[in-house]
Amino acid sequence: MSLISQFLPKPKTPFPIVPIQSIAGRTLALLVAIMTFLSCVTFGAVFLVQNSTLAWSSEVGRELTIQLQQVEDEQMLSDIRTAISLSEQSPGVARAFELTIKDSEELLSPWLGEQFDISAFDVPRLVVVQLADPAKFDLEALKAKITDAIPEASLDTHELWQQQLNAMAGTVVLSGALALILILTATVLAIVFATAGAMASNREIVDVLHFIGASDTYIAGAFQERFLAIGMQGGAAGGAMAIVFFFVASTITSAILPNQSATQVELLFGQFTLGWLGLFGLILVVVTIAILTAITSRVTVHRFLAQIAP
Amino acid sequence: MIKFKNVGLHYGAGPEILKNLNFNIDPGSFHFLTGPSGSGKTSLLRLLLLSMRPTAGEMEMFGNSTTNLSKAELMQMRQHIGIVFQEFRLLDHLTTFQNVALPLVVRGEPESSYKSNVEELLDWVGLGHQMHVRPELLSGGEKQRAAIARAVIAKPDLLLADEPTGNVDPELSERLLHLFVELNRMGTTIILASHELHLLNKFKFPRLQLKDGGINVSN
Repeated sequence: MSLISQFLPKPKTPFPIVPIQSIAGRTLALLVAIMTFLSCVTFGAVFLVQNSTLAWSSEVGRELTIQLQQVEDEQMLSDIRTAISLSEQSPGVARAFELTIKDSEELLSPWLGEQFDISAFDVPRLVVVQLADPAKFDLEALKAKITDAIPEASLDTHELWQQQLNAMAGTVVLSGALALILILTATVLAIVFATAGAMASNREIVDVLHFIGASDTYIAGAFQERFLAIGMQGGAAGGAMAIVFFFVASTITSAILPNQSATQVELLFGQFTLGWLGLFGLILVVVTIAILTAITSRVTVHRFLAQIAP
Repeated sequence: MIKFKNVGLHYGAGPEILKNLNFNIDPGSFHFLTGPSGSGKTSLLRLLLLSMRPTAGEMEMFGNSTTNLSKAELMQMRQHIGIVFQEFRLLDHLTTFQNVALPLVVRGEPESSYKSNVEELLDWVGLGHQMHVRPELLSGGEKQRAAIARAVIAKPDLLLADEPTGNVDPELSERLLHLFVELNRMGTTIILASHELHLLNKFKFPRLQLKDGGINVSN
């Protein structure tokens, strides 16, 4: 806390007119810290989901698969070669390659285990087509060429899945934003009550200041200074707790969970790493809460002073 | 300096506490405000401190009517008034020095401009050695002397005292009254409310006597 106070605006008076430590002040600081932590965690979760979705979406959008129904071995090898050749001749395609049975088993191993034998099932063989430039690529032309050459083949662009993913991500982001707004509203209301409580418990100081000729503006300034300091200290503590939370979550997924489980968690939720942009967002949340504390306490203090006799 | 013209006061729908008060206070004078408990001494002091407005009549202070004063003008006028309470009302989280300096701090004066004055005043009221301790370590008499120092540090034109000797022993009460007399000799107008007639009788100052809501000014 003393480190944070070095960055706070220097008080205009040589000594604090409003006591630095008080129960009401500590309550307000704790409240702001908790609300900041909740806001930061909500923001961070939404940020991670949004980032992962964008990454998935862009990766999936650059890839399509050709599914080839199981036929006799020789015919299957010929179909695979044809599909690869036709794909690689299409404009905008970087490369096409066969997904071997071993590759498919590796892909499914996080969910089905290492011992799973895919060859026991009548699973279609896959050719993966990776695009260099989705703008130049003509899906319909490739589809026509492939189905011409291999009537049983089908193309999957993952479009439906991509749409569902985007819809899900949109819902999560919207819900997160709503939760964030509700938390900030609750913060404002809680600050109103905490500030009014703090003013009431410091009523004697307000009265003495009035009696010695201090104006409402001066008294409000003295209290606001305290509340801003409390808000910034609580906000910084909450923000720091959130950063620690994300660091610990990241460490747990990468170090404590077995490799397989960590891969699954990463596949589903992305990495628990916020990056610089995420950290900047967290700082923005902390600053927003500090500003909200300053504005809310200012309004509450002025209303309190307007209601009492001079 | 102060003129009361037919001033009356009541709280809410209650009976009139003060009725039809008419009196003048000249600059540099010293008045005792007396009367039995509940006679309205504190209410009259609150009118004089401008923390209440009369419900009837008109008050003039420092040559201005107080009737239509805005809150800001009122706070400005209050800077000419010092107040001493029976229960001291020092701020517990501040030292003696800080409590006494408070009226100058709220006026925005830099510490360098008042430091020596505050120290000199604290020496004068006998608290030079208690300058940097908090009120909880002061005796009742010391607290009251600190409260008096706070009331006069900004050199007010008018000093109001509400039962300033109510919480101290008789010997100290008399010494405190001598302190007020000294301040009056230096030019401060003083109105001191007390019901301790045996103490007031030792001093020959005019009295504002409250009884049944009315006032009687005697010399």
